[in-house]
Amino acid sequence: MTIFLASFGFGLVTASVLAIAAIGFTLQFGVTDVLNLAYGAVMIAGAFIAYVVNQAGVSVWIGLVVAVVACAIGSVLLNAGIYTPFQRRGASPITMVIVSLGMTLIIEFSVQAIAGGTSVSYTMSQGPTVRAGGLVLSAVQFVVIGLSMLVMTGTHVLLRYTKLGKSMRATAANKTLARNCGIRTGQVITITWALTGALCGLAGVVFAIDAGSFDATATDLFLVLILAAVFLGGPGQAYGAMLGAVVIGLATEISAAYITPDYKYVIAFLALLVMLGVRPTGLLGASQ
Amino acid sequence: MNSYYVINLLIYAAVDAMACLGLNQQFGVAGVTNFGFIIFQAAGGYAAAILALPNQSANGGFQSYIGGWNLPFPLPWIGAAVVGGLIALPFTFLVGRRLRGDFAAVGLLVTAVLLNLLATNYKPLLDGDAGLSLIPAPLKGQGQFTLQSSGYQWAFTAGAVVLCAVTYLFVRRITASPYGRSLRAMRDNDLVADSLGKNLLAQRSAMLVTGGAIAGLSGGILVSYISTWSPAAWGYAETVVLFAAVIIGGAGNHLGAILGAVLVPVGFEEVTRYIPTSNSLPPNLIPSLEWVAIGLLIVAFLWVRPQGILPERKRVIKAAGLPPPGPASDANGSATTASQEPVASRSQPDGETILQVVGVSREFGGVRAVADVSFSVRRGTMTGLIGPNGAGKSTLLAMVAGTLPVTSGQIFYQGRDVTRLPAYRRARLGVVRTFQLASEFKRLTVMENLLSAVPGNRGDSFRGALAGRRYWRGDEAAAVARAQAMLVRFGLDGHANSYAGDLSGGQRRLVEIMRALMAEPRVLLLDEPMAGVHPILARRIGDELTALCADGLTVLMVEHELAIMDEYCDPVVAMAEGAVLAQGTMAELRSRSEVVEAYLVG
Repeated sequence: MTIFLASFGFGLVTASVLAIAAIGFTLQFGVTDVLNLAYGAVMIAGAFIAYVVNQAGVSVWIGLVVAVVACAIGSVLLNAGIYTPFQRRGASPITMVIVSLGMTLIIEFSVQAIAGGTSVSYTMSQGPTVRAGGLVLSAVQFVVIGLSMLVMTGTHVLLRYTKLGKSMRATAANKTLARNCGIRTGQVITITWALTGALCGLAGVVFAIDAGSFDATATDLFLVLILAAVFLGGPGQAYGAMLGAVVIGLATEISAAYITPDYKYVIAFLALLVMLGVRPTGLLGASQ
Repeated sequence: MNSYYVINLLIYAAVDAMACLGLNQQFGVAGVTNFGFIIFQAAGGYAAAILALPNQSANGGFQSYIGGWNLPFPLPWIGAAVVGGLIALPFTFLVGRRLRGDFAAVGLLVTAVLLNLLATNYKPLLDGDAGLSLIPAPLKGQGQFTLQSSGYQWAFTAGAVVLCAVTYLFVRRITASPYGRSLRAMRDNDLVADSLGKNLLAQRSAMLVTGGAIAGLSGGILVSYISTWSPAAWGYAETVVLFAAVIIGGAGNHLGAILGAVLVPVGFEEVTRYIPTSNSLPPNLIPSLEWVAIGLLIVAFLWVRPQGILPERKRVIKAAGLPPPGPASDANGSATTASQEPVASRSQPDGETILQVVGVSREFGGVRAVADVSFSVRRGTMTGLIGPNGAGKSTLLAMVAGTLPVTSGQIFYQGRDVTRLPAYRRARLGVVRTFQLASEFKRLTVMENLLSAVPGNRGDSFRGALAGRRYWRGDEAAAVARAQAMLVRFGLDGHANSYAGDLSGGQRRLVEIMRALMAEPRVLLLDEPMAGVHPILARRIGDELTALCADGLTVLMVEHELAIMDEYCDPVVAMAEGAVLAQGTMAELRSRSEVVEAYLVG
């Protein structure tokens, strides 16, 4: 039971990090129609930006804010400079994925070229530890969970109650129709890139905090978890991504406690393949 | 420049070129984006290794692996190809009709990442992270060859180059055949290829297995040469390098794939060899920048020259000795019979029901696009389907063709329940549709578009393609003659060898109708065939269809132009809000207030 509770705690933290990342990824895909595989690379770029700030002797939490802003701007530029021109030219979805894979290499290995190939860590205090039964969580981990819940609530409020959120949903459902109804879809898409880019930066820094040490290629595997969470809930579905993140986060960490940790990604991977093969629209997506 | 250097270069070039040929066959020709391609090369490498290695205890016992059969050459290489092909089978479930191509690509990418992780961490199977080493070279110590002698090295090189050449001839044979044309049609528009009778799952699976076998063989050759194989050699990003090579060389062009292999994987290896190493540079800088350069090359090429350095070759088909329209000459006997379309027998009396729709509904997320529709179509009629936008006409047509599954209800064709049959099976039975949106195969010529629809070509199967041109050229000549006659009839013979994507909107419509007719339909489902077509041409299409209906063809046609309905269609079915309002001649429909109402309101 102790081992279960301990792994449950890890699972909660992983699920929290994953939820932030997956919501960003799924909104990005849903609204802008770009399956942006460079998402993981932008995440790690954010983590390194926070590292640079942190190295200058500033708190990592200030670094987090800087990373969020930088990734928001970076994502808007990535869209305006690369993806939109390709889409405007009528590139097929598969071409877009190949372009995003090319961008993955460019961003990820530019980071590696600058940062070197070694692992780094933030200089920060984990704060006091809370124990309840076998459940052990540090103050920092509580902050990560809190941030994630804040993001989930914020997403809910945005999509359900604001005009911007409704415009985003309309654009995701049918871009042409949305434009004909007077929604400025170009603007909505740019704002979406900024918002999801911010989430991507946030996810990158909390991922790095959670991981302890990280290098430039650290998100290669985490992207698998993101994709699994996104496809489990249904691509483009924000609530699906939340559900997927909780399921995948808990499943990987709890299974890691019972089988060896080396194979904890296997569950996420199997979930992803089964969803792709059986129900590509996801648990919360419309059936075909 | 010593001979070792040249040998090394040639072997790497041969191995990379083979891998690129396999990937090009999948991606460039058939449009199957396999982001997990490297898995198959890895599998071939491991297979060759454990087949050639002696039992693990006999090998010093410092590495653990399964197998170790110590088999003589060429069994390890054959095994590599077989394993590479077999390992593709579990992935075929990803490439069926159901899954978007980009989602399937993501699935394969993730598989590559995960399998690499597993191979790294699980030691008993293939020695984990450390990988296999001391893999015996082929024919080691046999005959007059001794390892490391330059004669042996040159012989190995020659073997690798010859196998690469054989691979080139093999993929070229497939691509040049009618089957290759079907693959390219699927690449250009899979939904349309499906509706013309192409089995997408079978075609894509065949390409996964073929490409997998080629990749496996290339992996087998590679490990025999370098004598080691470990997970570090086949990271997911290696697939991206091969994609870069194919895109830069020219997707769809096999010589382009070879050129790309020489320029990208081999070229990068050679160029970085000459960059001086310096202690003042941070570690990992050069390899990192190499990856950045590969990414930049991909994005830049897709932007500046998406067709690659050597673009796909246009396949010009000359219709030699084409028979004049009308009674066919006896220059080509088989063409004569083939040009009598449609195949529907004339002896059968008109008027019997050929198509029956019973209580068919279709829902999209709670909205009923088509609600409980029933009607029947009689043989030899040209039935019209009218109604305001959103009445559910196109949805209904798609359900009859099988492109869209029904939510409920049944569809009978010639008395047989076809509700559960996939579109390609219905097309083979004679139910062929056209599409509302332009749906030509863009990178096929007009002639190829027409030929792609011809059923029963002996060369339109994997085996037929391998049997070679002599096996299928008779069928092909007959099909070309038929297509040429069709082009003459519709006045498009001047454009036979133009890319369909370069035609005007009206001409593309025409290509689509001709292509559907080439499929020898008994029931032809037309979705707004006259939209955007010049009135004179529209009349010509209408007259041709009327003549074909007199010969037994049945047409069900959605059209907004009521003048066309007036002239050609009887009966006409009027739909509104997903339901059938009325059925009768146009004159009858005009007299019914609810029909007029629906049109005015809609």
